[in-house]
Amino acid sequence: MARRSILAENEEATEINLSSMIDCIFILLIFFIVTTVFVEESGLEVNKPDAAAASNSDEENESVVLEITAQNKILVDGKEIALSEVANRVKAGMKNEETPVIIRSHENAKHGVFLGVWDQAVIGGADQLSFNTTN
Amino acid sequence: MAGRSIMNEPDEETEINLSPMIDCIFILLIFFIVTTVFVEEPGVDIIKPDAVTDVDLEKNSIIIAITADNKVVYGGKEIGISGVGPRVKQMVSKDDMPVIIQADQGSDHGVFSKVWSEVKNAGAKKISVSTFRG
Repeated sequence: MARRSILAENEEATEINLSSMIDCIFILLIFFIVTTVFVEESGLEVNKPDAAAASNSDEENESVVLEITAQNKILVDGKEIALSEVANRVKAGMKNEETPVIIRSHENAKHGVFLGVWDQAVIGGADQLSFNTTN
Repeated sequence: MAGRSIMNEPDEETEINLSPMIDCIFILLIFFIVTTVFVEEPGVDIIKPDAVTDVDLEKNSIIIAITADNKVVYGGKEIGISGVGPRVKQMVSKDDMPVIIQADQGSDHGVFSKVWSEVKNAGAKKISVSTFRG
């Protein structure tokens, strides 16, 4: 049993050389540190309600229509209103929670105005909110 | 020189214990692997509109940007409105990723509306518009 006697000797303790493994892990670590981006996005979900849900109540005239002109003016029933009034107008115009609110925006209107109106309509409690584009 | 004779003896080799360091590095490595998402950022300057009712969006999404001069950008390249559909379709068919449209507040609503329709027709379930949070 010559081998055994060698292993049992204190001076010949076997050890795994870890340095190459550490090298690899460091490279992986640096790769992941460099490629990590912490994306912080906030936003609104813009979805039109399903066509089926919208059509089973005959309310083309019941719905609240907000119009945005090419000059970025907001019109309700043909009258110009300020952005801050939109929420109240939507609240007043809705007969129940399912009343559709439609934002009819001109294609040259600014996106910032459109999203502002959308935001205000959500504050006003609009649930069935949709948009379409005119030209 | 008693100290020196001890150092020279082969039995008393000094070694740094590396195992706690390796533990730390492993934990860091796992943290970075778990948190990494590979998102193609548009890489253009966008002034996002302000909104009160905004919510946090999912990090792992397809981001499409519309600049103030109505260019549609994805992954650092200008793709045009017609280029949105195929790209989104390809990504959505693999795994159902949400889509974020980053539109500049000075961009035209018509362009946004067309991009939105393209994304919708490509089969995206969740479409969001990104906003600025101060």
